[in-house]
Amino acid sequence: MSTAVILAEATGTWPYVATAWVVVFGGMGAYALVTVLRGRRLSKKVAPEKRRWS
Amino acid sequence: MTTETVGSVEASDNGPTSTGSRSTMILGIVTLVALGVLVLFGLILSPADENQGEAVRIMYVHVPSATLSYVGCFLTTIGSAIYLWRKSRWWELLAYASAEVAALFTAFTLITGMLWGRPTWGVFWIWDARLTSEAMLMLLLLGYLAVRGLAADYQVRAKRAAIVGLLLVPNVLIVRESVQWWRTLHQKPTLSLAGAHIEGLMLFSLFTGFIAITLVFIWMVIHRFRVAWLEEQVDLEGLDEAIAERRAEGVVS
Amino acid sequence: MLSDAWLIARKDLKLEIRSRVALNQVIPFAILVLVLFAFALDPDRGLLEKATPGLYWIAVLFSGLLAMQRSFAVEAADGVTDALRLSGLTPSGIYLGKTLSVAVQLLALEVLLGVGVAVLYGTSITGWLLLVATIVVATAAISTAGTLFGVVAAGLRVRETLLPLLLLPVLAPVLIGSTRAFEAALSGTPSEGWPWVGLMSVFAAVYVVAGIFGFGPLMEES
Repeated sequence: MSTAVILAEATGTWPYVATAWVVVFGGMGAYALVTVLRGRRLSKKVAPEKRRWS
Repeated sequence: MTTETVGSVEASDNGPTSTGSRSTMILGIVTLVALGVLVLFGLILSPADENQGEAVRIMYVHVPSATLSYVGCFLTTIGSAIYLWRKSRWWELLAYASAEVAALFTAFTLITGMLWGRPTWGVFWIWDARLTSEAMLMLLLLGYLAVRGLAADYQVRAKRAAIVGLLLVPNVLIVRESVQWWRTLHQKPTLSLAGAHIEGLMLFSLFTGFIAITLVFIWMVIHRFRVAWLEEQVDLEGLDEAIAERRAEGVVS
Repeated sequence: MLSDAWLIARKDLKLEIRSRVALNQVIPFAILVLVLFAFALDPDRGLLEKATPGLYWIAVLFSGLLAMQRSFAVEAADGVTDALRLSGLTPSGIYLGKTLSVAVQLLALEVLLGVGVAVLYGTSITGWLLLVATIVVATAAISTAGTLFGVVAAGLRVRETLLPLLLLPVLAPVLIGSTRAFEAALSGTPSEGWPWVGLMSVFAAVYVVAGIFGFGPLMEES
């Protein structure tokens, strides 16, 4: 959806806008993924009663 | 663009052995909706600015990231202070979690700031007071994280990092002040980042950006906090037990 | 507290004088930095004289870092930290004492480097009052922050790389302030320099308070 818009209106500043949004959204996604995966790996090593939130 | 976030957040919150819980799952869904609204308004519905052109769209993620990088620093200093005062591990872990997330948002701020500067000023970097102090903030946060990530006992790491964390906000304030004087005493006042006249849909997009990015920040700090908590638990239980447990798991599955 | 500080400072300085490391290694390094700047910037075009304030303070920071690292390496070796803890001296006294000894070493270094730039870079020195005030305040700022972060990094395997990472960003305002104040003094407009002296005083005050309160918890652990 948004990539089509970007390609259609690829005037001077759009590449910068696209890069900025990709960096922020990609960065947030990657960090969230890494954090969640670390949490899953570590959760297996800890007894359930010590995971106070679940 | 949001597919990556969708996948990770939804996957995280269902399993019983994760850092997710019912409340963070709801928070995650709300966050994703907010991010969707941000994309809709920030990239599609809102108009281009008269002066900045399309580059104004970078502001909708840049300004909230910058604000939250400072919020993260503030939380780190508060957490460190309470840890030193009350020896509260909860606050220490909060300080650690928010410092790491703040470093992430500081990186976003710097990168988006440079990407905004190239079409607007013609260069990626100028020695603007805000850009420079944000870069210093990044270095200060990296210092804190380096101390917190030392391969040493929890007590040693936490206490030393807390001293660094306690001084984070004072340092940031002094650095900002000095950089501002430095630029204004010897050069013409720099261009204002928020110089655009923002109203209507553009203002709403910026507002959406604040909501969405703040929700992301909260979600990340909660999950990072829980990961840090689990790390300390694993440390406490000791390496031998962890190895034994993993061996047992290997047999079962 | 103050008598403890005096005791520690005298001990450290005596150690430093006897070991001669400062004399044999830190001072030659500081002079080397000055010479290297001359190699990097063409001395014929007056660049060196124009850039003197910045080069001077960079040289102070780098050679001061060397001296500071040494001052905590001495402490961390042979379990001296444990001995200090058992000695019954107050942590804040130990902090102030270490700060004082670092400050004295820095002052010696600064005087030497000052003579160095005057001779090697041909800088004509004016505005004595502001220059002296800047040196005193900047030394206080560098040594108060340096001592606190020195102890944060002390006794760790990564201390040689950790201390610069922690300390140099923190000292950025001091570098800016001292350089601008020196520029103001040397260009004959001292009134522009005094606000920076004020800023660095605030910096030093923040770190004295943080050090006095933070040293207790830091000394408790290993």
